[in-house]
Amino acid sequence: MKDVFPGLQPINRRKFLSLGLQGGLALAATPVLVRSLLAGEGQKLQVPDELLKKALAAALKRGGDFADVYVENRVSRSLLLEEGRFKSAVFGLIRGAGVRVIDGDKTGYAYTDELTEEKILRAAEVASFIATSGKKTQPLALKEQKRPSYIRVKIPLQEVADARRMEIMKRAHEAALGYDQRIKMASIDYYDEIRDRIIATSEGVLLRSSLPLIFFIVQTLAVGNNTSHMGRERLSRHAGLEMFDELPPEKAAREAARESVVMLEAREAPAGKMDVVIQNGWGGVLVHEAVGHPLEADNISRETGAFVGKLGQKVAADIFTMVDDGSLPNFRGTTDFDDEGTQMKKNVLIENGVLVKYMTDVLSAKQLKMERTGNGRRESFRYYPIPRMTNTYIEKGKDKPEDIVASTKSGLYVQSLSGGSVNPTTGVFNFTCREAYLIEDGKKTVPVRGATLIGSCLDIITKIDAVGNDLDFGPGICGKGQSAEVTAGQPTVRIRGITVGGTRQRG
Amino acid sequence: MDYRAIAEQVIKICKQKGADQAEAYLASGRELSLEVRNGKIESIQEASSYGLGLRVISGHKLGFAYVNDFRPESLEETVRRALDFARILTADENNVLPDDPAMTEVRGLYDPGLSQIPLDRKIALAREVESLALKVKGITRSEGARYGESESEIVLANSLGLVKSYKSSGCGFGVGAIAEKGEQKSSGYESCQRRFFADLKPPAEVAKRAADLALEMLDPRPVKTQRAAVILDPDVAFAILGGIIQAINGERVLQGASFLGKKLGQKIASELITIIDDGTLEKGLASAPFDGEGVPTQKRPVVENGILKGFLYNTYAARRAGVKSTGNASRGGFDSLPGIGPHNFYIAAGKMKPEEIIAATDRGVLVKEVTGYGINPVNGNFSGGAAGLWIENGKIAFPVKGITIAGTAEEMLNGIDMLGNDLDLNRSRTAPTLRIKSLQIGGE
Repeated sequence: MKDVFPGLQPINRRKFLSLGLQGGLALAATPVLVRSLLAGEGQKLQVPDELLKKALAAALKRGGDFADVYVENRVSRSLLLEEGRFKSAVFGLIRGAGVRVIDGDKTGYAYTDELTEEKILRAAEVASFIATSGKKTQPLALKEQKRPSYIRVKIPLQEVADARRMEIMKRAHEAALGYDQRIKMASIDYYDEIRDRIIATSEGVLLRSSLPLIFFIVQTLAVGNNTSHMGRERLSRHAGLEMFDELPPEKAAREAARESVVMLEAREAPAGKMDVVIQNGWGGVLVHEAVGHPLEADNISRETGAFVGKLGQKVAADIFTMVDDGSLPNFRGTTDFDDEGTQMKKNVLIENGVLVKYMTDVLSAKQLKMERTGNGRRESFRYYPIPRMTNTYIEKGKDKPEDIVASTKSGLYVQSLSGGSVNPTTGVFNFTCREAYLIEDGKKTVPVRGATLIGSCLDIITKIDAVGNDLDFGPGICGKGQSAEVTAGQPTVRIRGITVGGTRQRG
Repeated sequence: MDYRAIAEQVIKICKQKGADQAEAYLASGRELSLEVRNGKIESIQEASSYGLGLRVISGHKLGFAYVNDFRPESLEETVRRALDFARILTADENNVLPDDPAMTEVRGLYDPGLSQIPLDRKIALAREVESLALKVKGITRSEGARYGESESEIVLANSLGLVKSYKSSGCGFGVGAIAEKGEQKSSGYESCQRRFFADLKPPAEVAKRAADLALEMLDPRPVKTQRAAVILDPDVAFAILGGIIQAINGERVLQGASFLGKKLGQKIASELITIIDDGTLEKGLASAPFDGEGVPTQKRPVVENGILKGFLYNTYAARRAGVKSTGNASRGGFDSLPGIGPHNFYIAAGKMKPEEIIAATDRGVLVKEVTGYGINPVNGNFSGGAAGLWIENGKIAFPVKGITIAGTAEEMLNGIDMLGNDLDLNRSRTAPTLRIKSLQIGGE
């Protein structure tokens, strides 16, 4: 079996390999030697250019328009501090490669866990069977490119001792429990990973990158007299451990605890149509679901999406501008280039109410004869890329957030949202409030239980009548058959007349 | 590759390296998925893959590492990582591995003929279901049809002498149909999953259901915000079951984070309601001879005639609670620690025909679609978006879209006053059609 993963110290590793093989699986080297050989988490993912070239040629052997090879190595750590105990720690080492062939509208895909020449070429062969059009494409010579990076790291994750990660978790745990006596339990989830990618395409693109990611989740349980509430706060960036200097874990913990305690006093939410003000930040998940997904170009090229045929048309209120930008420095949805090698950039999707752009990947851009926007993303080598959002937000407006509330006679003030979903064909969406309050006579008053908000995408964006000047963001996970790291953002906005799923009939 | 040998070898290394206990969980398999749109193949994906999850316990501390690279040095690193991680954690004497060598006999988990069926036949199945859906009058577009299959083998070995394995298979196909009328667009999706290829429903049946779901929702009318009866179709059973599954999670109960935590032996639902968790069902999509850490599976009622009978436990949570594991250790894959989850989980069938339930309803909604997170497992609150068919005087009157339904678990579960006989155990989490006497509906 030919190893295509020689690593940084090929001589030592080969030596180690021979030692390892002599003793079967038993460890033959001294622990110190093994440590120095294997601790190289930051080591570059190395696959010879020659093999990538061969794979692309094999992929296009039966024809096709486009082929790419994606190689990935992911080293991850996940730690859980819950009920005062470091309960579990998970270390992950995953690697693999996928080969894709596009022939007309068709996609062939195969992947392998084994980064050997034999298995990668076999994947290329399996993917190649899709091609039947007879169109021949000669892969261009691979030329390695350097691209600007939007991810700056001060404290690289691979240089951080686990004790430092645990210290950060402890800080959050103590801050959560210390917030209020009613906080009975805190759960601190720490996850980080380094994802190395190699992308080689039949268009001659060859890119290598290493991408760090941190995801930190605090959940707190508050127990009241006759109810309980689990609060949550999440921090995430493509960054090193310096993320916690800018986003202190204590602050996140106190925010989760505050939500838990406040919601113990929550009353029944009203039911029916009303005006809704959504606070700045993660509330942008509203447009992520309601507008973002229907603007992903796979729905458009298949002519099933809610926004088909609406390019250039006025679809929203004048004050509504929506952007997807995968180049915001260190954001959770940011990468230097997408998983097909397309450069990330700021894409204005809806400008002053006019639909100006869809989010594309290689396939949908080709089908629609549009530009590639940098939205071809995949969860891992086990999936082929599809159009996905990155950091998606409503551009800031001119209104002061306090004026927006003051000018709302009655309705619902949504401080934070759990998440939601949309049917991209019909545009019908829903999302669930985490923390919401009644608005009575222009004032935010009592908290109400988590209610569902529902509507239709084409309708909702015409009903936004106030956009604040306080743009902010929140990190999240987006699922569309495969998961993606995203950010959603917005300033405080008001939507007139949206259906709220409460339990209380209004008088 | 000899996965059993790898598992046993890795356990041996763990013991040599000083682990008190060790467990190797190997998952291997292959998958095929394909999509067809407007009669043409849109994508075909094929792959086989494998991975190892390694749990080690050292001084009552638990470490875990996973890897999909079985070269000797990578397996060595995995052992070292798991042990290094174990050292830094908090000791907990409940961290133990199970030692029951038994396996529950479950029939019909693996279709040995699945991989022998030619690819062309599977493509033809997807093409056929799509073309049949498009032939239905009023269906204007296809959202595509899919066929998918997978086969997997689980090998589990631990240092207490367990070595168990089983093979399983699954296959399924489905189609999305779109009905358009003027500016209106309505979509319906239906699929069928089975362990055996020969058990798949005829494509005509799947196509008709997808088309019906899209067509019956055309020309919806608004309804006023009101309280009325809510009938849940089996398609939306998760709206009730999801929250219950989380609330009877034994670890969540220990943490005080469940609305059912203090209700054991008490009435939590209408007398009509019996809920079963069954890991032993023949050909069941969530059946297995042992759970995610090797404990034999069983069939047991968690709610019987409205009384809460028990929670779900893995070995760790059971020991903490002072009970026996119920065989409910769940694994998301080789890359996850055993959590807690159900097997085939369902509300047992009642006696009424679904049409009798509709006929007995003066005013209410037959809910076909629910969105949102279902019942909140912590406090039992529920709010969801809904769509379905409005019922007046025992008859379906018109479709409704964009409504909400909301209440509490207590109100919903105790309010169930009619239960259908239409339980379909080919689904892993399901219920018959059931009626909640009265619930808040949000509309105009």
